[in-house]
Amino acid sequence: MSTIIIGLSLSFLLFLLSAGLTLIFGMLGVINFAHGALYMLGAYVSFQVVQTTGSFWMGLLIAPLIVAAFGALIEMAALKRVYSRDHIFQLLLTFGLILVIDDATKLIWGLDYKQVPTPALLTAPIKLFGSHIPAYRLFVIAFGAAVSLALFLILDRSKWGMIIRAASSDPDMARTLGIDVNRVRTGVFALGSLLAALGGAITAPLVPIELGMGFSVIIDCFVVVIIGGLGNIRGAIFASLLLGMTRAIGYTYATEWVELMTFVLLIGTLMFRPAGLFSTKGRAA
Amino acid sequence: MKRRKFLYNAGATAMVSTLSAPKILRAQSAEEFHIAAILSFSGPYGLIGNDMRKGAELAVAERGGMVLGKPVRFSWEDDETKPQPAVQKATRLLSEGAHMMFGAVSSASTLALQSLSTQRKVPHLITISADDAITKRDGPPYSFRTSNTLGMEVKMTMEFVKKRGLKKIYAVTADYQATRSALEEFSAMAKEAGVEIVGNDYAPLGNRDFSVIIDKMAKSDADGIVVVATGNDGITFVKQAGQVELGKDRVIFGPVLQDDIFAAATGPAALGVNSGVRYHYSLDNPTNNAFVKGYQDTHDALPSAFAGEAYDGLRWWLDVVDKTGSWDVDAWTEAFANSVYEDSVEGRKEMRACDHQASQVGLWGEVVKGEASMPELTMKITDIFPADRLFSSC
Repeated sequence: MSTIIIGLSLSFLLFLLSAGLTLIFGMLGVINFAHGALYMLGAYVSFQVVQTTGSFWMGLLIAPLIVAAFGALIEMAALKRVYSRDHIFQLLLTFGLILVIDDATKLIWGLDYKQVPTPALLTAPIKLFGSHIPAYRLFVIAFGAAVSLALFLILDRSKWGMIIRAASSDPDMARTLGIDVNRVRTGVFALGSLLAALGGAITAPLVPIELGMGFSVIIDCFVVVIIGGLGNIRGAIFASLLLGMTRAIGYTYATEWVELMTFVLLIGTLMFRPAGLFSTKGRAA
Repeated sequence: MKRRKFLYNAGATAMVSTLSAPKILRAQSAEEFHIAAILSFSGPYGLIGNDMRKGAELAVAERGGMVLGKPVRFSWEDDETKPQPAVQKATRLLSEGAHMMFGAVSSASTLALQSLSTQRKVPHLITISADDAITKRDGPPYSFRTSNTLGMEVKMTMEFVKKRGLKKIYAVTADYQATRSALEEFSAMAKEAGVEIVGNDYAPLGNRDFSVIIDKMAKSDADGIVVVATGNDGITFVKQAGQVELGKDRVIFGPVLQDDIFAAATGPAALGVNSGVRYHYSLDNPTNNAFVKGYQDTHDALPSAFAGEAYDGLRWWLDVVDKTGSWDVDAWTEAFANSVYEDSVEGRKEMRACDHQASQVGLWGEVVKGEASMPELTMKITDIFPADRLFSSC
């Protein structure tokens, strides 16, 4: 049972890390290589807020908002110029953004490791099913579940979601109906950036904050997005659960095989369901 | 036949002259002592390269910036923590007439530079890479390491296990060649000492989540947890172990698990963790006290292990080169291979001619709360192991 709880925490961390990537691809058709850099930026900004205010919760609240504003600026200044162009321009642009964000981060915060302590409320472990589970992990599960539910409701059940989907699937028709498609796109990129930063802020008490942290997560994010189906939030939730549980069980019984199992899942998906397990034509959420 | 032999001899002479020409030209026309410093200034080891640079520059500044009566010039190059750029950049600097190479940080880059050093017959000084394969009997003739080997750190780890009376150990090992070898060596020593390895998990390099492995450790009857990993992996493990208070009733330790930089990145979970230490500012001897003061005056900070090792290695090398009074590369390497460094920052060091590895004491410490001007968390050196317990004879 403890393996399942740990697996759930791994799964929701994966979901929080990859949700922004899949959202931006699903709604804007942009493969955002800079997602890892935005995640890293979220962790650094969260560190700064925690240093200034002494509160982890302020970091979790403020860092995603700051990175979302930054994401909106990126979209308006650069990304909107390449929507109509070939994918290669988007890839080059977002790759360039990684270099800019990395260097700016180095200039602002330096090369030293940074650390965000576990919030005082959640430092003690809780005994569940014979295991000591960190309270922070239980918080991650609850928080991740809440974010995935909120995203699903916003994109699938709300008027905003309907507008976003309309602007994504037929922008010209949406324009004729009076929807400001440019503003919707800016909003979607900001939301994707917010999710990346949220991933960074919530991971901060678990790992050292350093310049290379964005690179280490981007592969996991792409694995989730490919297995779940590019741009599919439901698929991302399912793929995160599949991957998180595989890892939890793998680490329990056959540690050395975990990486292999991850990539077998990826290759299997590409072979038998190349568009992803949850790909349904026309559905974005 | 005579004509053919004459042509053969003439050709061979010409070739030998051409090959050795750069060395002679360099010796005759040296207006400066040029050091090709290939370090990591970006990538995972960017922080290490920057600290090494500070230590190396201080070693040169202390001697008035001169060696053999000529000014010392560094060319700093970033290998991005990858072997290929390391070799490319070093090759360019050697073609510009660099007299020696200094670096790299990662063992992979250092091993790549060693081949270049052998090929071009250029001295190569290593002050941080720890892979045992770097210094081996009759290895690269122009390469020297003045810092720790992973092997000596593993031996210190076993000395610590014996001293603490630990009987059952659970291991977690970063999954790459050097750490796998280190675990094998540790396991063999444990068997000999009657210590049981009750479990081991190989975690992929750069692993971000150790929760399942930590849960297995918590459920085991191990009294000690050995972490054969360093850098991000070590920090992440100790941070996450702290969230279930794993260190409360088990001793967490590792050959290169913690130093002051890693402890700061780990936070309070690092308290009580034990580790091998490459160098520490707190060592009380006249050379180290002077170095720490000089470093603080220049950088307003205490020197890290990386800065300390770089300072010490380069200071030793430049002293030996200066004493030769010669610009002959072979005279330098011959002298260094047989040198003894009595006033190192870590006490006595002796270069072993057989494998070009400095024989030296090993430092072991525990993370404690710092006092007064110390960092918030700092290593307290608890043991200094003599060289003869850490190095086998050649």
